[in-house]
Parts: sequence; C-alpha cells; structure tokens
Amino acid sequence: MLEATGLMVFYENMLALNNIHIRCGVNQIIGVFGANSAGKSTLMYTLSGIMQDIQKKEAMAGGERITLMGEIRYMGEDISGLKPSQRARKGIVLCPERRRIFNESSVLENLKIGGYLASSSEARNTLEYVFKIFPTLEKLKKRIGGFLSGGEQQMLAIGRALMAQPKILLLDEPLMGLSPLMQAELILATKGICDEMKLSVIITEQYARPVMPIVDYAYILENGSAVMEGSKEELMDNPDVRSAYFGIEESYE
Amino acid sequence: MENKTQRRKERIDRGIKVRTDGIYALMSIRELSYLAMPRMILIFGMLALPLLLPGMYWERVITITCIYALLALSFDFLAHFVGLVSLGGAFFVGVGGYMAAIMNTTFGMPPWLTVPLAALAGGGVCTLLLLPCLPLRGVYFAIVSLMYPLFVARLIEALNILGGTDGITGIDGFTNRWMEQYFIIGILLLLLFGVRRLVNTDIGLVLRGVKDNDQAIRASGMNVTLYKAMAVYIASAMGCLGGACLAHIYMWSGISQFALDFSILPIAATVIGGGGTLVGPVLGCLILVPISELLREFGTLRIVFYALILVAFIVFRSEGIMVYGRRKYEQFERWTRI
Repeated sequence: MLEATGLMVFYENMLALNNIHIRCGVNQIIGVFGANSAGKSTLMYTLSGIMQDIQKKEAMAGGERITLMGEIRYMGEDISGLKPSQRARKGIVLCPERRRIFNESSVLENLKIGGYLASSSEARNTLEYVFKIFPTLEKLKKRIGGFLSGGEQQMLAIGRALMAQPKILLLDEPLMGLSPLMQAELILATKGICDEMKLSVIITEQYARPVMPIVDYAYILENGSAVMEGSKEELMDNPDVRSAYFGIEESYE
Repeated sequence: MENKTQRRKERIDRGIKVRTDGIYALMSIRELSYLAMPRMILIFGMLALPLLLPGMYWERVITITCIYALLALSFDFLAHFVGLVSLGGAFFVGVGGYMAAIMNTTFGMPPWLTVPLAALAGGGVCTLLLLPCLPLRGVYFAIVSLMYPLFVARLIEALNILGGTDGITGIDGFTNRWMEQYFIIGILLLLLFGVRRLVNTDIGLVLRGVKDNDQAIRASGMNVTLYKAMAVYIASAMGCLGGACLAHIYMWSGISQFALDFSILPIAATVIGGGGTLVGPVLGCLILVPISELLREFGTLRIVFYALILVAFIVFRSEGIMVYGRRKYEQFERWTRI
C-alpha cells in the first residue's frame, strides 16, 4: 500500500535517514523502533510530507539545508513530490509527536477541525466512532484542549487524525509520557481502530514492549539506518533486540 | 527527491578551525586578516564616511543614520537577546532629547556633559516607567511600549509643559561639525562592539535564557524581572543617547522626537540587516536611511518604494543581509556524490 525506497534525508551535512526501505501493506500495523535521534520522527515527517514544509521554511530563513532523496509510492502512485496537505487528502494522516492538539479549542472543536475535509456523513460517523472507542472524550466534550491530561490529549490527537478519514495512520510516539496503564489502553484502542476501520498503521516508539504484541512487521532504526527488520516473532527471538528494546536480559530467562 | 542526480550540495566551514567561539589559533597573516577584515572594513568604513561625503546635507544624513543605528541596535538587543519586542524607540529618543534640552537650557550644562548624563538618567526614567510592563511578553509588550511615546507627546501638547508644541529651543550645538560626526560614529562603534561582548558574557547567557524559557530561568533561582529591567536599561540608555545627540544637532527638542519613525525604521533595518546579529541592524540603517533620503525627490511615492523594498526583503530574503553574508563568508559549498 505504502512503499518507500531509498529514503535519505540530510540535515545540512548530517545524515538523518540512510537508505531506508519500508513497506506497509493493507490493514497492517507496522512498528518502527529506535532510540532518540535514530530518525523515527524524521521518517514520519518524510512519509507525511511535512519534511518538505520544514525544508522550505529552513531555506527561507537561511537555516539548515535539508536534502531529501528516495521514492515514496502509495497505491502504485509516486507521491514523493506531493505536499503534506495533498498526501493527507489521499489518506496519509500523521498524528504528530507531542500531540500538537489545538490548545485553545474544545475537544469537540478539535475533532471537527480534523474532519474539516471529510463529508458531513463521514464526519458524523467517525465522530460517533471516536466517542465509542474513547468514551472519556465524550464526557470531556466541552473541555478546552489545553486542560486535558496527557492521556486524554493523546486520545484526542488520535481521534482528530481519524476524523481526517485516513487510510494510513502515522502515529509518532503515541505513548510518550503516559502511564503503563494508559499505554496498554491506547495500544488496545489502536489495534481496534486498525481492525474496525480497515486501515493501516505505522507506529513509532522507543520502548517496543507495549507495542510489539499488536504489530505485524517491525523495523529497528539506529542512527538513521534500518539495522534490522522482521516479523514480530523474528524480532522477539533475537537476543540483541530483546535486551535493547524489551528490557529483557538473557540471564533472567 | 531526484533519483537521477545522486548528488547534493554540502556546506563546509571555511577558514581557521575554532575550538570554541572566541578562541582562535592564528597561524598566519592570512588567517588574521580573514578574522579581522570584516570588522576592519566596518570600522574604517564608518570612520571614512564623513570624509567621503562632505557637505552640510550629507553630514546630517550621516548623523541621523548613526542615531537610527543606535536605535536599531537597541531594538535588536531587546528583541533577539531578551525577547522583548519594543516599539518604544521613539520614547527613548524623546526622553533623551528632552533630558538633554532641560539640562542644557535650565542648568547650563555643556553638551559633553548633557549627552552622557541624559543617557544614564534617561535610561533610568524609561526603565522605571516600563517596569510595570516587564511581565508582559510578545505582542503585548510591543503594544504597550508603542503607547508610551504617543502618550507623552500628547501629554506635553495638552498640558503645554516643556515648551508645548513649540518645543525647547536655544540648545547649544556641538562645537564643530567634525566633532559632531565623529562623536556619534565613535559612540556607535563602541556600543556595537560593547553589546556584542555583553551578549556573550554570563549575563548575556541569562538574558538569552529569559528569551527562550523564562520559567526555566525562574526555576534556576534567578529573578526574571530584574534581568529584564537591566536589559531595558541598557537598551533605553542607548536610545536616550541617540535622542540627546539629536537634540544637540538640531539645537531644538520638540514633540516630533516622539514620532513613530524612531520606532518603526529600526525594526525595518533589523529585518533587512538580519535580526540577532547586532551588526545587521546597523548595516540595515546604513542602507535604509540614505535610500529614504535619496527617494525624497519622489515625494509621497517614497513610501511606496520603501514599502516595496521591505516587502521584497521579507518575502525573498527573510534571513537578512548579515546572516546571508556571514554564511557565504564562513562556509563554502560544493557538490558531493552520495
């Protein structure tokens, strides 16, 4: 469905993504794991096209020169040149790191903004669906976004992304700063969304353990390169991966 | 994302390797000149200006340019190193101008005494008056500081104090025109390099911290308002110094010193020159003020050309001349294969 080949991103002379190949099939959940500065967010920005926006802004302000290379194909079509808004209309929707909800709008308004381009019946159905999977949000409908807790904000961010009628949902570190209980709840919800709405999800995270159970295929990034990839089982069996991304030491076994 | 040309342009630092900012290992005259050349060009260029452009008219343009440059320097310092966008340039000039005028006419002090005194005392007055606004940030501080010059000008007009609409006349001028020009140019260069030093000292670091995240500064046990007040004092003293010089040059001080030109033009100069570089705004003034003089022939159309130049700069080169120039000077580019 979405396939990126030979993705390379340079921030000035620094290589942020090195020849990344990533593939996401229909109705699949893909995990991307890596430490800080591994290139997870850069990858998400590149897939969603926001990198082009950043590139343009930096060039205007005389900042870093960002070089993008490689090809991104979506449903057989080359979308490397498309703007982020065009990609979102085609169904590639990013739910950004640190949530970036609209702080001064209420929960309902946040969701409505997300569904601005959807038809009214789609928006209505999705809104119902969002409230069904995240009942907390319905109770807080009138609350101003900035006053929500971290977990509620993350639900809202995912809900807002869903309102844009995605076919591929890009979740950038959705578990950041959440309690383990909330993490489990969100991961379960993500799985549910994927199954019920028949969409694909690419999810990035530093700590793989809570996410691993739901992914179909995963990539491990280190310093901008994909050092390992494989299905859930393949990665779980690898001792290096186990200690680095699951916190399981072999001696405990 | 071109697959055919697997090349990209890379930027490489040119010149001598610097271990940390400010510490250089100089190995040759060439390296020395690489470092000193830009500064020398600025210093000697400024000093040569009065010689290159003689005549009453250009003399005035040079001094006015320097006064605007002082204001632009103070704006850049406040905006990019403390995070206070101040539109109070006219306020500083007016306070400095009236201070110098009163000291000179009422107490009979000579210009060499009134100018520094007006700068120091005027800075104090401006800081005291702005003190209630210091907790404000961003556009709120800008609006409030814009109100001050309007407020004082109307106050003087309505109450007919300090000479009312006629202003204070009969102020002593500088003894001769060479002294006048070199005095202002000297002060400008001194303050320019002084402020550049200041922002790299420890206090400068704190001020930049205030700009980035004042909560973190508070959490580190420092009083944000105190540091902001210090910065405002420095900036307003620079503005008052300019105002005092202005009063002595025209031998007159009036409410036109509170004119918005003194608030707006420094901002335009900062945009053109490159904000946060301190030298940029001075260069911006060196370009903008003479241009606005040259365009005077076109009458009202002057503003149109002026606005066009500004818009073009903001849209196509929002980084500013100085940032662009520094990058070209310090780095070179080449194509590399990936």
